Amino acid sequence: MKAMKITAIALLALALVLVLFTAGCTQPSGSSGSTAAPPANGTVGILETAGVGPMPSLLATRQVDGYIAWQPVVEAGVESNVGQVAVYSKDLPPAGEWSNHPQNVFVVRKDFYAANPDFVNDFSALNLAATQYINTHPQETAAIDAEWLAGGQNFTYGNVSVSSVTVVNNSIPTIEFSNNPTDSWKASTSDFVQSLINLGTVKGFVANSSSQDAVLYNFQPYTSATAIIASKNVTTTAPVQNTVGVGYLNAVDHSALFVAVKNWQYFNDTYGIALKPEDLTAAKPSVADFLVNGRKVATVNLVPANAGPNLMQLAATNSIQMSYVGVPPAISAIDQGIPITIAYPIDSLGSGLVVSNGAPVQDWKSFAAWAKTRSDAGKPLVIAAPGKGSIQDVMIRAALQDSGITVTEVKV
Amino acid sequence: MTRRLGLVLPILLIIGWEVAAIIVNNPFFLPKLETVIPVLLSPFSDILGTGSLVDNALVSIERVVLGFALAAAVAIPLGIGMGRFAVLNDFFDTTIELLRPVPPLAWVPLALAWFKIGIVSIVFIIFIGAVFPILLNTVDGVRGVKNTWIEVSTTLGASERQILSKVILPGAAPTIWTGLRIGFGISWMCVVAAEILPGPTSGLGYLIMYAYNLGQINVIIAGIIVIGLIGLVIDQGFRAVEKHWFGWRGLER
Repeated sequence: MKAMKITAIALLALALVLVLFTAGCTQPSGSSGSTAAPPANGTVGILETAGVGPMPSLLATRQVDGYIAWQPVVEAGVESNVGQVAVYSKDLPPAGEWSNHPQNVFVVRKDFYAANPDFVNDFSALNLAATQYINTHPQETAAIDAEWLAGGQNFTYGNVSVSSVTVVNNSIPTIEFSNNPTDSWKASTSDFVQSLINLGTVKGFVANSSSQDAVLYNFQPYTSATAIIASKNVTTTAPVQNTVGVGYLNAVDHSALFVAVKNWQYFNDTYGIALKPEDLTAAKPSVADFLVNGRKVATVNLVPANAGPNLMQLAATNSIQMSYVGVPPAISAIDQGIPITIAYPIDSLGSGLVVSNGAPVQDWKSFAAWAKTRSDAGKPLVIAAPGKGSIQDVMIRAALQDSGITVTEVKV
Repeated sequence: MTRRLGLVLPILLIIGWEVAAIIVNNPFFLPKLETVIPVLLSPFSDILGTGSLVDNALVSIERVVLGFALAAAVAIPLGIGMGRFAVLNDFFDTTIELLRPVPPLAWVPLALAWFKIGIVSIVFIIFIGAVFPILLNTVDGVRGVKNTWIEVSTTLGASERQILSKVILPGAAPTIWTGLRIGFGISWMCVVAAEILPGPTSGLGYLIMYAYNLGQINVIIAGIIVIGLIGLVIDQGFRAVEKHWFGWRGLER
């Protein structure tokens, strides 16, 4: 009995030593195209972080040399004196590839649309109207977003305290808010799907489909919503029995929702469609009534999450029926067989590469030169990206490869 | 005297923190007290549109109390049964030891799928955290009741029901109480995990995660301090009860 105990303890100790040993040995390792000879244009390590929140801190503590993120984290890095924008996403190579890259979409569960087409169309009309409003009232949108995201208060980064309104105000012009699924948007999304297939993150229904469009999209809500907005005449729909869950992220990209809720009176008066918060004083309302021609049609739960994949998981279990979400989680969800469809875009562009202050970088070309210098000096750059397969991750990898720079993954 | 001695280290830690912050001089590593204190000194004013510290603390306390009460309601009867009857213990023990090491955070995806967004999935995560320490302490407490007490009461003609309520339960109470104290501490730890779930728009855990997503370190530290202070106060309450009602345990030995 005693001998058995000693053996067990010895085995455990051995296992612990092995685990610690292997953990200590993990280092940055080449993932693609690693050869014996040093790459001509240098290497850059990509560090995948969960989300964008910690990125300015990582840059400020010199754990990374730069980061690629969505708004408002790009402007937040600049405003807090942590870094400078090397390049906005539209100017990343290959030339022209990302000039109107997709960013966020509106997705709907197929069964929910089949059961409540009028409701989804009316809700979509509100999204279209809100998007128009963002484009004609960017400064008011900034104030609304700042109220939603930070209660209108300052952001504190290190010693620097910056107005959230300023940060959002600088973010909005870098994003293109549009709901129109144009051919170029579709082409750009297709390129993106291909990149995800190449990365190995998409390998199911979407990858194996003969007609990707049919699997990914159903633009009917967009078409109907356009007609409703054009006629400014919305017919009152039958009430939706159950509470409707609508997912979103606390990001400037999802301004359409924030504007629709905060300015519900305007949309009610102008279009006869509104999302009226039940608690009119809440900075981030969590329940709203969907009104059509002044009549309540549905109770809507507004469900925030930290990242798109969480939202898609909620859609999979029918906890939410519709969602604002980034393109990659939407594509992955459809690829995995979650019964949703992309109804229309929410926005394009709006990402940026931020590098530390004092880095010899003004644009992509000088960034590539800096990458080579640092690589030759034996200290390759490390760039943070928000998760493998995110738009930002796909873009920075494609850009580095296009410039002949070897991409490695920083393993932690 | 001992109470005062206990305050020395926290005060030294605070001084040490400020000195370190000045020396390090990088607020991303260690923000100075000055950025955190204003958040703590205005507990009733809104933070980043998520409500005030007090609002969020109350919401978290409510969720913790619910999850904890549910855990106690399940764990104490089950623990008494397992402690008293070997067959129940043999039936449940393996399953409990299988589930016990699973961190509450690992249940998050399933909790969302099973209980949907909202209070139920949050309470479930807290329940998972609290139930095992209460259960194991209850089992231990029941088993620790002196055999002579039980034998004497059997000899005097007590029924099983009387033995349970008059001998075993009072005898095991101090250990059960320790289990509750540990369980509440763990529930309080689980609140952050539970409030990471999508859906909540309030709570101290939510506030910390929200601030993390916006990189607001001063708010994170303020949230940590409040969680710590509330935990301390609640633990003092448990200890006071322990001292008042279960002081006999020390004498009996």
